[in-house]
Amino acid sequence: MNSIIEVKNLSKLFGGFTAVDNISFVLKEGEILGLLGPNGAGKTTTIQMLLGVLTPTKGEITMFGKEFFKYREEALEMINFSSTYTTLPWDLTVRENLTYISYLYALFDRKKRLQEITALFKLEDLLEQKISQLSAGQQTRVNLAKAFINFPKILLLDEPTASLDPDVAAYIREFLLQEQKKFGVSIILTSHNMAEVEELCDRIVFINKGAIVADDTPENLARSIKICHIEIAPPAEEFQKLRQHLEARRFSFSVEKRSAVINLEEQKVAAFLQELSAEGIQYEEISIEKPSLQDYFLQMTKTENHEAP
Amino acid sequence: MLRYFYLTRHSFDRATDMLYWPILDLLLWGLTSAYFQSYISETDTVIFTIIAGIIFWFVVVRGQYEMSVNILEELWNRNMVNLFVSPLKFSEMIAASAIISVAKAAIGFSFAAFLAKLLFDVNLIYFGIYLFPLTLVLLMTGWVIGLFVAGTILRFGTKLQALAWTLVWVISPFSAIYYPLSILPGWGQTIAKFIPVSYVFENSRMFIMSGRVDIYELSMTILLSVIYLICALWYAHRSFAKSLEKGLVKLY
Repeated sequence: MNSIIEVKNLSKLFGGFTAVDNISFVLKEGEILGLLGPNGAGKTTTIQMLLGVLTPTKGEITMFGKEFFKYREEALEMINFSSTYTTLPWDLTVRENLTYISYLYALFDRKKRLQEITALFKLEDLLEQKISQLSAGQQTRVNLAKAFINFPKILLLDEPTASLDPDVAAYIREFLLQEQKKFGVSIILTSHNMAEVEELCDRIVFINKGAIVADDTPENLARSIKICHIEIAPPAEEFQKLRQHLEARRFSFSVEKRSAVINLEEQKVAAFLQELSAEGIQYEEISIEKPSLQDYFLQMTKTENHEAP
Repeated sequence: MLRYFYLTRHSFDRATDMLYWPILDLLLWGLTSAYFQSYISETDTVIFTIIAGIIFWFVVVRGQYEMSVNILEELWNRNMVNLFVSPLKFSEMIAASAIISVAKAAIGFSFAAFLAKLLFDVNLIYFGIYLFPLTLVLLMTGWVIGLFVAGTILRFGTKLQALAWTLVWVISPFSAIYYPLSILPGWGQTIAKFIPVSYVFENSRMFIMSGRVDIYELSMTILLSVIYLICALWYAHRSFAKSLEKGLVKLY
């Protein structure tokens, strides 16, 4: 796959504060790249620089093989953006917003395109409503429709499904995957929904304190966390015995209703279960959850919090 | 342009203010000058001068208002990011505001001119071909102030938004809208020399009284306005570049 975006040594300083610190990464054609990190890590700053609405302090952005800031308008013709945190003009109706935005792009058949995206994002009944009259979820759908108006080759999505109902969010995720497969759309997205990121993203760039700390697939990142979670539900009369054992052996665990969730290194699971058996601790239910992207995220942000002065 | 058309359609104040103020000023000052004319002899031209001043000044205000308030609208709506993640150039946004201001000024001007003829028998068509250079300078001066305000708001945010409604009035005493420049004190006349519209109002009065204008002075005024406009465009562009350093998302 060819690189469609190349970011080299990109930095952004606000006065003495370094928001983005010398980051480099690529987005390949048809790839969905997740930009993850705790709040204030530099994700949004990076996206803003990729959109040209924030000037980098140093570094280079190449899009479609050309220097972005030199060919900004040409590149933006093929890019679009949606964020839960930006709104369209409140006094204008959905139809008016989509219509005037369509005129910002060189579209061949505007009317047809407006009909298509209206149908795709199920906005037919909302067209004559003002943005101010829409719910948060409906506004997100209008924002996404706006993002697809110009047949983008690159999409930058900041929390694309936040505030959507689960069924609509699932529909949008499916739609994004279809667009990626059918038209080779490359996507950079940020999300705090780790399950969504795992489902959608081919690769993840994890940013912390403005710097990239990991660049890998969701599976590999999750695998880098060796801890898995064992949930054990013993018979009610055995619970205290299990708890005493876990405390005596100084396991990391939490109690949820009538079960205990033990955090354990994957290779120690077998020995742990043998140990329980040897101690005569029985259980009615057991489930072993492999490390997930959520664990990776929590691990990374926990490290960050511990490192903080 | 379509965005501002929709905005005007939905905004009662923006749709009406292009007619409301000219009508109000026209009635207030037209009747006042008609009253004075009835008392003072040799004042046949007073009412014409005052009414031409009102309508011409409206053109300056309209040019300035559209240029600065359109930027403010985008900041109030947090819409700058939506606009500039598209291929839209800042210069195109400025051009849209300029065209909208011409359209609104034309509507307001025509309506006010019609009322002036109807109510006070003042015919602005009397200026003939000179209407074009005169209104061109008026519009350009409005744009210059509007671009300065827009640039300042882009640099410092909406905390300075009051400039959009007030700054243009700062030059009004030195613009000699209703009185000759000679009325101003020396220092005031010096300031007026740097304000292009002061020459427009002087020449419009000269035309009303003598039927002629100072072509050389008018040409120099147009040249001065173009120089100011280039400087104001440069300032607005620099301010936009500065706002990109902070980030358009943080701009409000």
